[in-house]
Amino acid sequence: MRVILSLLLRAAVVLAGTALATFTLLWHAPGDPALAIALARFRSVVPDAVIEQVRVEAGFDAGFWPAFLSWLGPILLGDFGQSSVTGRDVWPELVTAMSYTFPLALSGLAIGVALSIPLALLATRHPGGWLDRFAVALASIGVAIPQFWLGLLLILLFAVQLGWLPAMGARTPTHLILPALTLGLTVSASLTRILRSGILEARGRPFLPAFRRRGVSEAHLTRNHIAPHAAIPVVTVFGLELAFLLEGVVMVEVIFARPGLGIFLVGAIEARDFPKVQAVVILAALLFVTVNLLIDLLYQVIDPRIGDRDA
Amino acid sequence: MRSVIVLAGVFVALAVCGPLVAPHDPTAINIAQRLSPPGPDWILGTDALGRDILSRLLHGARWSLGLAFLISVIGLCMGTLMGLLAAQGGKLADWIVMRTTDTFLAFPDLVAAVVIAGVLGAGTGSLIFALTVTGWMRYARVVRGIGLSLQTRGYVVQAKLAGLSPLAIARWHYLPALMPSLTVVWTGMFARAILGISALGFLGFGVQPPMPEWGTMLLDARIHMRSTPLQMIWPGLAVVICVLAINLAGDALRDRLAGQEEQA
Amino acid sequence: MLTVDGISVARGRTDVLRDISFTLAPGRTLAVVGESGAGKSTLIAAVLGLVALSKGDITWMNRPVRHCRPALVMQEPRSAFNPALTLHRSVMEPLRAGRLPGDPVRLTRLCDGLELLPDLLERRPSEVSIGQAQRIGILRALIATPPLVLFDEPLSALDAVTQKHTARLIADLQREEGFAALIVTHDLGYAAAYADEIAVLQAGQIAEMGPAQDFVTSPKTAYGLTLREAAFALGALEHVA
Ligand SMILES: Nc1ncnc2c1ncn2[C@@H]1O[C@H](COP(=O)(O)OP(=O)(O)OP(=O)(O)O)[C@@H](O)[C@H]1O
Ligand SMILES: [Mg+2]
Repeated sequence: MRVILSLLLRAAVVLAGTALATFTLLWHAPGDPALAIALARFRSVVPDAVIEQVRVEAGFDAGFWPAFLSWLGPILLGDFGQSSVTGRDVWPELVTAMSYTFPLALSGLAIGVALSIPLALLATRHPGGWLDRFAVALASIGVAIPQFWLGLLLILLFAVQLGWLPAMGARTPTHLILPALTLGLTVSASLTRILRSGILEARGRPFLPAFRRRGVSEAHLTRNHIAPHAAIPVVTVFGLELAFLLEGVVMVEVIFARPGLGIFLVGAIEARDFPKVQAVVILAALLFVTVNLLIDLLYQVIDPRIGDRDA
Repeated sequence: MRSVIVLAGVFVALAVCGPLVAPHDPTAINIAQRLSPPGPDWILGTDALGRDILSRLLHGARWSLGLAFLISVIGLCMGTLMGLLAAQGGKLADWIVMRTTDTFLAFPDLVAAVVIAGVLGAGTGSLIFALTVTGWMRYARVVRGIGLSLQTRGYVVQAKLAGLSPLAIARWHYLPALMPSLTVVWTGMFARAILGISALGFLGFGVQPPMPEWGTMLLDARIHMRSTPLQMIWPGLAVVICVLAINLAGDALRDRLAGQEEQA
Repeated sequence: MLTVDGISVARGRTDVLRDISFTLAPGRTLAVVGESGAGKSTLIAAVLGLVALSKGDITWMNRPVRHCRPALVMQEPRSAFNPALTLHRSVMEPLRAGRLPGDPVRLTRLCDGLELLPDLLERRPSEVSIGQAQRIGILRALIATPPLVLFDEPLSALDAVTQKHTARLIADLQREEGFAALIVTHDLGYAAAYADEIAVLQAGQIAEMGPAQDFVTSPKTAYGLTLREAAFALGALEHVA
């Protein structure tokens, strides 16, 4: 119980820290935020008096901390405000963007898992054998390839040269294939590496030879001793993979002009539309903190001795 | 350890000497020769402004590798300091540092770097800032973990009893014990920085044209994918080869260290 | 003067040390004996401020013990040296830390007395034997003329002859320099021959404490008696009696 409370406290602290870091960044961004808002609101040359009025309204003149608090208030209530460029609510646009991102992220993850589990199992059948070395080489190359470059190569091959698949946009379900493949291939590379070493480590544990000498069957060993031990790194990895997925999504969406969160974010940054930027950042932080919290709680279930991942 | 040092040396040499052996000026615009195929004059062809791609690649090494080296070393110093502070500075310092680390780790570092670099405005300065601010946490965690375990080690206790200053203890007792693990983390972060620089460059938030940086080159090349697809291959290949080499050296080092630990 | 005033130390839920009090004056030697796990090493750690006290107070001349830069000879000799540095560096560390000038004559004397060949110090900790490491640990502890030295089983890895020589060297130096010595040992003969006082630690408490002579001639507790008989049986006390 105490462990759970301290985990919750930690999650809250991390969220507050993210909010503070985000606001600090926006506060120090070059350019006058009041001017940006005023321009967005009136879409013409605005007199200085109006800019000053906006500054007071937004609480920017009161100094860093009051401005931070008045900025944080609505966000805590789930109000992400309006775009400073279009003046429209951020939230509906964010939901639309997510509706493009989630299918991509999920199918990318599915492809990654579907490729990496068999590959890792095949590879670890004979560690050091040709299959193992092949899998390791493949995975090493996979993690060294920038996702956006892999995406470009796939476009080059399947869309430009062969003309089999559409590359740009998200009009039809077939538009999902190339982005998902790009994401899935890179995810599978890192997942294969981690799974492989996890399985090898679980197998190499000191008491296993003793079981074997006593004639315990391999199937029994795998089910009862190797798999649970390999589960802990897999749970850890899931958190890391999620981060990897979100990174991948940003790059892949830009490459394939898929109007999801990545384009939303990059477009908002380029337009200096800070309400949109902070909405994405806070949402993503919320997602990650929640997932990490769940992982920590899951650790408690798998192995209650892991009280604190720091310790 | 040696392989990593040799590799780092090769990369530094490439970043320093690459521009010297480049056959052409990487920024010299030559519209008449735009998008030439590979030939005797242009070994890898020219880009949309008629600039020699090979020369740009070689000059790009300075940006991509040099900046990545700089970023990973700054991150190394920052992270090590934070980790030592957490391990040696008492409970409160530890809590503050670890929660800061959690906060920065709560977010995928590349996305955070994109946001930071983008919001601060494109340019090399914000690129370096964005990638170092998001690139110190792993060092801090490793240093803290090892640091805490060192604290009860006999020789550290002896040094404290003798009244050695914290700085001298860090220098003589912590750093030698930290070096191997830090090198492993550093290889990972170096590779990560190369990928980050190219990604930010590709998004237009990184090194600005006309400077030849591999990610920026890919951004240029993408538009001419149909007519000159090869132009898109080279910079990407350069990134992959560098990252792969660093990762392999890092893996080898990690395996060696694991082997040594098992023996000890 | 080392003053240990009614201290207790908790580890986990149990008290490892309970209500320990004693004093130790400069130039004097206190031997602490007791079975394995009795809390002897913990007592040393408590004196050095390496574990938290749950009760009581420990001072040296009315100030925290650490201010006098006490020296420690560790029970596990190799762990006292950084494996990455030469033994020479580690041995010189107390001098460097205190910005004290090294005295080559004294170093030579210590090395001779401890039967250490000088080139041994150029090696790493893993390249010397446990017994050598133990003597180098003593060398390091004594090099900066500390006012208080804590020995945790300083002779355990030495052969009988070297034990005798080392014990004599420590006693000689103590007579000349007047440091206070707290020696944890299993060797009752050593305790009886060199200590001024002996304390028997049993399950974290002092079961018996008194001048070494009284202790050997008329032990007050059953435990002290057992210990004495065991020592006699091994012939360890012959040179005392
Ligand atoms: N880090 C620790 N955590 C919990 N208990 C400990 C710890 N260190 C020692 N103890 C316990 O404290 C008690 C005293 O230990 P201590 O090391 O002081 O014994 P000792 O008298 O020095 O024994 P020995 O002669 O074997 O060295 C033992 O019961 C031991 O199990
Ligand atoms: Mg002990």
